[in-house]
Amino acid sequence: MCANCGNPAAPGHWTEAGAAGPGERLRARFRRSQVLKSVLPAYGLTAHDGAIIPGIQLSTLSGQEVIVQNLEEVWAEAERMIGRPVDPLDPRFLGAAQEREVA
Amino acid sequence: MDGVETRMRLTVLGGFLGSGKTTWLRHQLHHGRFRDAHVVVNEAAETPVDDVLLGKSSALTVLAGGCACCEGRADLIAALRKLCDERSRTFSSESRLQRIVLETSGLADPGAIVEAIRADAMLIHHIVVSEIIVAVDGLNGLSQLASEPLGRRQAEIADRLVVTKLDAADPETIARLAATLKHLNPGAAIGGAINGSDVPPPDGTGVEPADLPDLSGERAAPIFATRLALDETVDWTAFGVWLSALLHARGDQVMRVKGVVRTPAGRLLLQSVRKIVQSPEILPGQDDDASREDDTIVVIGRGYRAEDLRRSLNYFAGLR
Repeated sequence: MCANCGNPAAPGHWTEAGAAGPGERLRARFRRSQVLKSVLPAYGLTAHDGAIIPGIQLSTLSGQEVIVQNLEEVWAEAERMIGRPVDPLDPRFLGAAQEREVA
Repeated sequence: MDGVETRMRLTVLGGFLGSGKTTWLRHQLHHGRFRDAHVVVNEAAETPVDDVLLGKSSALTVLAGGCACCEGRADLIAALRKLCDERSRTFSSESRLQRIVLETSGLADPGAIVEAIRADAMLIHHIVVSEIIVAVDGLNGLSQLASEPLGRRQAEIADRLVVTKLDAADPETIARLAATLKHLNPGAAIGGAINGSDVPPPDGTGVEPADLPDLSGERAAPIFATRLALDETVDWTAFGVWLSALLHARGDQVMRVKGVVRTPAGRLLLQSVRKIVQSPEILPGQDDDASREDDTIVVIGRGYRAEDLRRSLNYFAGLR
């Protein structure tokens, strides 16, 4: 464990259980970042995870920024920053999904 | 993780006051089920009674005077930690404790107990909840479901419901109770018991479920189960992003998620109780249990549309 930032202290978030080795873990991390980057802008948020420092950087358009460790914290922080939760069943996603199905 | 599940399995046995939990467990112990298990009994009353009844079990801990999901939580955590400690001191070549059966008090919400274990930094590494069994009183079950929010919560969260006292109630009541339970918790298996011994489950098909009054305002909509097939286009990571967001935003509506997912790390048994997701259990290879459907997730809840779940998941999985 890193003495400065405490990472990794927890056994890992449940969403990270799908990767067996270091390579897969890195790949999963990039994939997670890719999905977040497509989802969050709809709420005026951006995510960055370059896999260099531990954690995901979340920022608002006004420049507010936090670093979080896992997806649970992503959604909790996102709700705090924008005042409501990011909802996968939000009409904006369902609408986009429908458009993609048609195309 | 090295691909082998080494955590102890915990079976939670719940049910309303007087629903027949101890009788059922006593009978199961008598027949040698849970023989290798350490039994932990929690009683809300100060004076323990159940320990006398459960003399058959090989090892028993009694936590009296406080319900384990609220004021007795610290005691429960301490007792479980002690079991973990003892197990860790056993050489791995000797036989180690593999299973714990926790009989909750009649006032406990099994969901809160699962949550407490999940939140404990030590227990999360040592214990995995394998099944939530809830006993339902065949005689008084209907009225409890109608009037007690707790009784209803217990029934909603179960993996397996055992309807007890089948001989004491008339068949119509039992059929109605079975239909009501099916309506409340479509994902759970329903079994029956008389004096603790297993009997064929009550059949509620074709029977109208009881009209349960609204107990908390927003709970009016019925609970339904949705099966989501995860085909090859859905990868674990995108699925995780989607489900974690869904549970964060709609944890009050999505009560239970369960399923087996194939990932590069092996077959993972995923289960959540309300907002809490247990760290997935790694299952052995699939050849042993062909009946188990892999890559299918069951979502149980209310207040959303099933096709929206599917559409939204596919959208998340297709993001590049």
